[in-house]
Amino acid sequence: MHKDAEPKDVKRIENIINIVTGWHFFLSLAGIILLFFIIFKQLFSDLPSWLMFIGTISTIFFAVASFFAGYQLIKRTRVGRTTSLVVNYLGFVFSFIALLQVLGVFLGVDALAKTFGSGIGWLAGVFAGYLIHAAGDQFHFRINIEEMFHKTGKYIAVVFFTIFLFRVGLVQALIFLGKRLIIPSNLIIAILVVLFGIAIWLMWREETGIYLHRNNAQTEALEGYLFLSPNLLGFLIFFAFPLVFSFYISLTDWDAFGNSNFIGLANYFTIFKLNLKPLASATQNFIQVMDGSVYSELLRFNVFGKYYVLGAADARFWISLRNTLVFCVVTVPLSATPALLLANILNSKIPGMKIYRAIYFLPSIAAVVGISLIWQWLYNATIGYINYFITLGLQFINSIFATSYPIAQIRWLSESRTALLAIIIVSAWQTMGFNTVLFMAGLQNIPKELYEAATVDGAGKWARFWKITLPLLAPTTFFVITTTTIQALQVFEQVFIMTNPPGSPGTSTLTIVLYLYQNGFQRFQQGYGAAIAWVLFIVIFAVTLIQFRSQRRTGAYDV
Amino acid sequence: MISFRLSKILTNTVTYIILTAFALVMLFPFLYMFATSLKTPNDTFTYPPRLFPREQSTIELAGYDDPLPLYFVSAEGEKREFALVESGVPAGVYADPDDLETAYTVPLTFVKPAMGGGEFTLPDGTVQELMDVPVEGEILQLVQVNRTALGRFVDPDDTTKEVYQVVRTSEPVTKITAHPENYVHVLKMENMERSLTNTTLITIFVVVGQMVTSVMGGYAFARLRFPGRDKLFLFYLGTIMIPFVMLIIPLYQLMVLFGWTDKLASLIFPWIFTAYGTFLMRQFFITVPKDIEEAALMDGASRFEILYRIFLPAAAPALATLATFTFLYAWNSFFWPLVIINTGNYENHVLTLTLNMLRGRASDSANLILAGAAISILPPFILFILGQRFFIESAMSSGVKG
Repeated sequence: MHKDAEPKDVKRIENIINIVTGWHFFLSLAGIILLFFIIFKQLFSDLPSWLMFIGTISTIFFAVASFFAGYQLIKRTRVGRTTSLVVNYLGFVFSFIALLQVLGVFLGVDALAKTFGSGIGWLAGVFAGYLIHAAGDQFHFRINIEEMFHKTGKYIAVVFFTIFLFRVGLVQALIFLGKRLIIPSNLIIAILVVLFGIAIWLMWREETGIYLHRNNAQTEALEGYLFLSPNLLGFLIFFAFPLVFSFYISLTDWDAFGNSNFIGLANYFTIFKLNLKPLASATQNFIQVMDGSVYSELLRFNVFGKYYVLGAADARFWISLRNTLVFCVVTVPLSATPALLLANILNSKIPGMKIYRAIYFLPSIAAVVGISLIWQWLYNATIGYINYFITLGLQFINSIFATSYPIAQIRWLSESRTALLAIIIVSAWQTMGFNTVLFMAGLQNIPKELYEAATVDGAGKWARFWKITLPLLAPTTFFVITTTTIQALQVFEQVFIMTNPPGSPGTSTLTIVLYLYQNGFQRFQQGYGAAIAWVLFIVIFAVTLIQFRSQRRTGAYDV
Repeated sequence: MISFRLSKILTNTVTYIILTAFALVMLFPFLYMFATSLKTPNDTFTYPPRLFPREQSTIELAGYDDPLPLYFVSAEGEKREFALVESGVPAGVYADPDDLETAYTVPLTFVKPAMGGGEFTLPDGTVQELMDVPVEGEILQLVQVNRTALGRFVDPDDTTKEVYQVVRTSEPVTKITAHPENYVHVLKMENMERSLTNTTLITIFVVVGQMVTSVMGGYAFARLRFPGRDKLFLFYLGTIMIPFVMLIIPLYQLMVLFGWTDKLASLIFPWIFTAYGTFLMRQFFITVPKDIEEAALMDGASRFEILYRIFLPAAAPALATLATFTFLYAWNSFFWPLVIINTGNYENHVLTLTLNMLRGRASDSANLILAGAAISILPPFILFILGQRFFIESAMSSGVKG
């Protein structure tokens, strides 16, 4: 293709490619030098070992990729251009992020929050501008009036936004950035950003592309990764990497100061360490049968007249697991069953259906923290409404059956018998409306003809519900139960807000996530916390798998 | 035919009763929240609890500087509203010497020693004179068995009409009065104004950021062919199910590394790249017909132009759904801010954190705590009323979320 080009142009393109090739060899050389410094502990020696490891690997990768790009560019291949673009793009993005970081742009959000309140009123002006712009659409028939509205709206919005920017401290921010930029080390990063940018521009240009045999597939692939890159890079940094990293942390004894030693699976062994011993009598002291410094008592039970005691190295974990499972087993049906009932009623197209649906949905959009605060007062032992309603009910029963129940004074949240139940009720209440909406979506997928046919065959309401609705709704039911279960297994905020101290009374509301929080962020045993997280994940995974299996076995219909 | 109609009406009635009962259960806590947030501190502690914020009614009477509280008294055989003009009037409890059980409470000033005189010894050993005591228009000869204090109530319409009775057991006249200044008060506590700003700012950043990355990523997955696309997409799908709890410790360490602990940046940047949003937009973009796009490509439009001019306008409903979902997530999040923002750093608290602090600081002021809760709950409610459809759709679209 490049044979069609003018000789002068060809010379220029050759020069450009040669410059970029040189840049790539320079990059890989710089990478190798950096690598030596890292390996011989001249640079970054104060960083933790895992970070050194990641840094070393990525430097090697970058140097090799850059060398490969340079080599392929000498051969003037298409792959050379692709690799060069990828390397330079990654270099650009990461050096740009590094620049933003050293300039303190990310932390600028804090400064913005300080002044944001004083400028927020001006944003109303921007909104007004938008409204004027939108109002112009009314005048489709008079193009110049429409134009006028659009322009005025745009100007108003721009003016108000500019005022807003100045109010929140644009000038101070720019001065600050300027001061930070002229620090030599920051300046080097800035220059690096520019160099990577220039390299990208040189390689991306139409004539370079044509000279290096670009084709549609290559362009589309590059564009695909370009569009995906913000998402993919962020996803890798903030999701995929932490996930892998979490497993590594769980294999260490990471503490508050970042000290960590690799201890293998020791955390997991501690979690699962159980010990079963027979007891001489039901009331024998625990210390007599087991080493009290390792184990603590979990439960006593009686099999065929013989008493046993189960000790666990981490009894609190097992208690939290039991509480969480109890919470789950009660909350899910308590939330899903009324939801199924309500969805069936609402599905019959009665007037006012939308209003009811909206009301049921309300709790699920409110913050769990807010909800918990409300219910905390509803549960109040002396002035709370829950006890008041129970008292009213008891008085009603008293008046009919001439019994004499006293007024209810249940201390819902500070009695170990009721605390977990209280939290279960709140959670079921909050998720019910959401599940109703999900069930309604499922019900709308069931063909009406089936019901009509069944009615003709003489099936009653109940028969239709059991024989048609329930089996055909199975996929939705499965989904509702799975999501509610997964959510319930992670219960934390309700417990944290409503019980004081969280998990009290005793350990009656200690849940797995709360236990994780206590370990990871109060005792700062982050390694142990990460191990608990993985155990929770396995539980969640197992529950999902079991439900998935049982759904298959019941042979849910696909509608 | 009639029985059919009857049964229909019956069914409908039962249906509405069930629906309304559940609706009341769903609404009541919120009603309670709003009503309590408008109460005075004393009003929150009444038993039996009353829903609406009430306060003692008062009345201005000539001759008195301060407004006088109104109480229900029984005068002339009916229940009337009288004003309390004086409390702590010394009074005696008088009873017939032969029947000490039935006693009358009368102010001391109304009682004179009886004409006939005579003294009686009470069972506790004290000796009391016989007195002339006015009771319901008659003069009875009684002895004093005890002392107490009464309140003097007058008829606001005719201040000469007086009634004496015990203030503590009198039923006050109340009227419904709201105290919206609770909201102003609570905004000044625990730096809540600032945390409201912070939450707003963070929510805007997260919603806009997530929309941008999700639209771009979704478009790439839906419309551009590149090597490894399908495998990557499967990977994205697989991670949707992984709970956030898994990431909390490593993400915390990452924030320590970046120096973002205690900073608002940690509440924004990790949350603008989500697999779920990308998935949602991809599912939508895949339904957009290809013809227009291809025509635009022929005309030399760039991919960005196509995305901006063709896909974005078409995706408005999907975007609104995603925005709704993200808004709720960002506005209501608590666990991550709790972990990453230091409790001592009031500058960077978000609303949920402030509520948590408020719970401890104002633990006996239900009115303030619930005003705080209302501040955090109201914005989602207002948005819900404006765009109910998108909320419901975001719930339904999560039907694909595992």
